[in-house]
Amino acid sequence: MTTLLQTLEALERRPMRTFLTALGTALGIATIVALLAVSGGAQASASKFLNLGSSDLGLFQRDAADPTTSVLPLALVSELRHTRGIQAATPLVLLVGAVHRAPGAIAFGAYPDSFVTDRYVFLAGRMFTGDRQVAVGSGLAAQLHLQVGDTLTIAHHRLSVSGIYHMGVPEQDDGAVIAFGLAQKLAGKEGEATTVAVSLAPTVSRSEGIKTISRRFPGLLILGDGVNAPRTGVSGVLLSRLALVLAVIALVIGGVGVMNTMLMSVLERRTEFALLAAVGWSGPQIAMRVMAEGILTSIIGAGLGLLLGVVGAQLLVGLLGASEYVAPNVTAWDLGQALLVGVLLGVLGGMYPAWRAARLSPAKVLAER
Amino acid sequence: MPGSKVEVEELTRALDGKVVLRDVSFLIEPGELVALTGPSGSGKTTLLQLLGGLDRPTSGRIMVDDIAVHALRHPTRYRREVVGFVFQLHHLLPALTAQENVELPMVAAHVPRRERHERARELLDEVGLLSRAASLPSSLSGGERQRIAIARALAGQPRLILADEPTGSLDALATERIWELLASVRQRHGSTILIASHDRGLLQHVERNLAIREGVVFEQGLDANQSDPDAETPPPSGGDPHDHAPANA
Repeated sequence: MTTLLQTLEALERRPMRTFLTALGTALGIATIVALLAVSGGAQASASKFLNLGSSDLGLFQRDAADPTTSVLPLALVSELRHTRGIQAATPLVLLVGAVHRAPGAIAFGAYPDSFVTDRYVFLAGRMFTGDRQVAVGSGLAAQLHLQVGDTLTIAHHRLSVSGIYHMGVPEQDDGAVIAFGLAQKLAGKEGEATTVAVSLAPTVSRSEGIKTISRRFPGLLILGDGVNAPRTGVSGVLLSRLALVLAVIALVIGGVGVMNTMLMSVLERRTEFALLAAVGWSGPQIAMRVMAEGILTSIIGAGLGLLLGVVGAQLLVGLLGASEYVAPNVTAWDLGQALLVGVLLGVLGGMYPAWRAARLSPAKVLAER
Repeated sequence: MPGSKVEVEELTRALDGKVVLRDVSFLIEPGELVALTGPSGSGKTTLLQLLGGLDRPTSGRIMVDDIAVHALRHPTRYRREVVGFVFQLHHLLPALTAQENVELPMVAAHVPRRERHERARELLDEVGLLSRAASLPSSLSGGERQRIAIARALAGQPRLILADEPTGSLDALATERIWELLASVRQRHGSTILIASHDRGLLQHVERNLAIREGVVFEQGLDANQSDPDAETPPPSGGDPHDHAPANA
């Protein structure tokens, strides 16, 4: 006979109630896990919009809602080119949802001879040469069964496929590159760019480059590697905060649910707790027994919620049509947080019923029978 | 372990404005087996609950050995180490086996698992139900359940056993076996035992009979035929001094 077995047995006595309570907890936990996974995936994906080399930086508008909504003046490019330590700077325009039959694909507007596009490895054909052509990533070509010479429609503009490239970066391989001027026109960003890619001189370290640019252009967010990537996506941050808010709401709602169930359980089992008190169980011992039931119910719910959350994150991204640029990313820490929330639910929800059980008068209760 | 000495002085308990026990005084010597007889609602259960530390008196004193039970703010240890309670309804936990039910008081006392198991089995053997150690209460007869409840009451090696109508729901044969069992428990453990019951057969097994009427306790003889224990009024104050001697005499 162990406390755990006794606790399990108590839960088994009301299987449907236990299941529904656990399910309530599970839905809360699943929401948290799904949001953490999606926000984590969105943050991770943001760093991949640019294929940054070891001496490259990506510049974005600070506090843009997400990388694709960043707006930078083109005049910045020439100023950057005249900044000491910068070897090259080239503007890029990002178009989301513009590729026909592939709403998740990103169309990049770039100069065909920039240091960014120089890195493209062509599997077939070559880089575009004008406003009527598009270079297509290998992933997008496979998805849409495109070959050189086929037509691809971007923002209602029919473009001829000039070549198929491969970069090894999913966001770029699943997208397409068009002329910078055309992208500006399609995006309504004439005279502007979404981002500016910067190549540093070989003698300048990345940290030195970041320091130099941030001092001279304080309104910029400088993306040097994945570490700063989350900052480019306020949406990702918002999702994280939303997850936190939902976690708190889940705590409250789940806690009330667990408390309600445990309270009913205590009321139904008054005789049992009164008997335990009569045979020498102390108040804290009885309270711990009730708490254990609440915690175990919540842990069962949390386990179920983890499973639902991981699956739900995939479904959520799929339903939103965002699977092309948001890959749900569930970390062990996310799972740990969700489990922690589950235990907290049990503790918070079990406290009041435990107190009630511990304060039952054995004389009054046992005399009722 | 020797039984407890129980001293009750001018004990009164009022519940919701109604006096349930009125100036009750009596003395039980260590190791005595005493009956508490009286009609329903006369205060038997209340008196046992007060003695067992399950309730607190309105006034008066209860001394069990050197423990002032009436003044205990935290009676848990007293319930665990001094008293063993047997209830009319056995109150066995339905999902626990007979052995696990017997172990409950020892769980509270943090008795090591192996020792708990051994002791529970010894007690089940003592009440003649070792073979039913793994049975759930639902598969036991009423008499067997009550014997399990007695084994549970013995688990804490109590000096004082309080039994509240332990045969209330049993047939005559099972009732007789419970009286014999409690008498043998007294013989073997030397515990002081106070049994509240309607059953006149109990008087054949006890040494004293405390009668209770309308919250007043008095000493009554052991002749089972002399008076109806279910009578609704206390005896006249001028009755036979032998039959109706004051309980605290």
